[in-house]
Amino acid sequence: MNSIIVFIKNLKKTLFPNLFNTIITLLITLFISVVCFNTFAWLIFKANWKVVISNLPLYAFGSFPLNEQWRPASWIISLLLLSIFTICGPEWKWLRKNLLILWVGTIPLGLYLLYGGLGLSPIMSRHWGGLTLTILLTVFSSLLSLPFGIVLALCRQSSLPLIQKLSSIYIDVMRAIPLIAVLFFGQLLIPLFLPVGIEIDRVWRAIFAFTLFVSAYIAEDIRGGLQSIPNTQIEAANSIGLNQYQIIQFILIPQALRIALPALTNQSIGLFQNTSLMAILGLVELLGVGRSILANPEFIGQYIEVYVWLACVYWIVCTIMAVLARHLEQRMTINQANF
Amino acid sequence: MEPIVVAKNLTKSYTKGLRALDNVSLKVNQGKVLVVMGPSGSGKSTLIRTFNGLETFDKGELNILGIKVDSTHDERKIQKIRRRVGMVFQQFNLFPHLSILENITLAPVHVQKRRQIEAEEYGMYLLSQMGIDSHAKKYPSQLSGGEQQRVAIARALALKPELLLFDEPTSALDPERINEVLDAMRRLAEQGMTMVVVTHEIGFAKDVSDQVLFMDSGKVIETSPPNIFFSNAKHERSRKFLNQLDKH
Repeated sequence: MNSIIVFIKNLKKTLFPNLFNTIITLLITLFISVVCFNTFAWLIFKANWKVVISNLPLYAFGSFPLNEQWRPASWIISLLLLSIFTICGPEWKWLRKNLLILWVGTIPLGLYLLYGGLGLSPIMSRHWGGLTLTILLTVFSSLLSLPFGIVLALCRQSSLPLIQKLSSIYIDVMRAIPLIAVLFFGQLLIPLFLPVGIEIDRVWRAIFAFTLFVSAYIAEDIRGGLQSIPNTQIEAANSIGLNQYQIIQFILIPQALRIALPALTNQSIGLFQNTSLMAILGLVELLGVGRSILANPEFIGQYIEVYVWLACVYWIVCTIMAVLARHLEQRMTINQANF
Repeated sequence: MEPIVVAKNLTKSYTKGLRALDNVSLKVNQGKVLVVMGPSGSGKSTLIRTFNGLETFDKGELNILGIKVDSTHDERKIQKIRRRVGMVFQQFNLFPHLSILENITLAPVHVQKRRQIEAEEYGMYLLSQMGIDSHAKKYPSQLSGGEQQRVAIARALALKPELLLFDEPTSALDPERINEVLDAMRRLAEQGMTMVVVTHEIGFAKDVSDQVLFMDSGKVIETSPPNIFFSNAKHERSRKFLNQLDKH
């Protein structure tokens, strides 16, 4: 009761101290309530959500064959369950240790469920689409660009001038090209360079292009981590007889990753949003599905509903990613307060 | 008595002709403790860091445990030396991302290829010797400076070294924490460990060392047994330095 009175008193002090501030407060309140009222009125009464509700499977799975849609569905649900479990699951030690293995296991699981084979009917990658494809692009590109980025960062720190120069040039060039150009390169030029008869399908070409691009940024993030490790750590590792590779593996990489973790989270959230560029290049991922639905005469002109809905989906997934990353960060700092 | 460390005319100069080491020669026999003293910048840290190859030198010859190193700084020989020589640093230099026990087992498992369980058992034994076995699962930042330095000693001991180098091991510690580290070092000396210790701790040098080596601007000024060095130093420069230390 007391705290409520204090709260009201504080409110009075900050919002209504004199006539001028009272007028400003009232005007702003009026503005906000009109905006809110209009938004909710549109959301509830004016908007026609049929364009979203009747196409839910399309948003989720694209043109994946209807009777096989349980496959991408179970993959997405397993990812979601694993996220929830990681964030608020019980604190059993063996479980916490094996969570990483479970997370890595979702990759072959996803590939198996989408491609089929071994008892499931095979499905071509051109049928993949919607949120499934968006997640697939994000997960695979970020997982491939992490090791590639680490190698690039190490090469940039190398004492061999040739390797050091080559990787600096690569990183600088990649950072100087817009992502969309790299994606065009992946979709249009790679097929021309490959010998006749060898074909990489479009999804993998996109993953390849994203990997090339993102790994340059990841390399810079990790280089920042590497540079903030004091030289005395290397001396200590030298003094106990570790060789160069062991020092990289056991001393430098773990510490650099820990330092670069917030930046890496940023990269993967950015990557998730950038996969929407593939809609322009003909992959029917989440945004692409939205565009193709809008091209349907039945739903013509309902683009506000579609884009509001898509924004919500992107927001939810990004939030889950951010919460997961924060959780990981806390876990890594819990024992190492003064890292 | 076989010599563990033999240095002959070690010389190292920086650009501008400044000499970090100037014709330094010394010998440490098995089971002996050599204390190196001198004002800051006199080259004492540089000297013991050459013993396990953390510093190079320009001229002279070094023989550590029978392995001969010269100014070419042969990496393979230095690796061999590092496996048999432990080092303790002023700032502890523990690995902050590894637990105390992992800090200690890292080298035995990956350098000497011992089994994990065996390395952990020996690591726990070393920690109990240092009186900190209850902290095995903690991380370095959760320990006090003195405790961290004792972990660093245990880490250096994990490879069962034949020579231990100490580079100002107590200089970064609170005065109240210095003795717990010095006591651990005393016990090691009693067990017959060969040690080279850079320190300003006169008490430790008096009690434990067999020889005191005094350096100034890269040169060895004098090498004497501690009873002579502290009561009746041969050289004027040494007496001046000791006077300064006494005032603090």
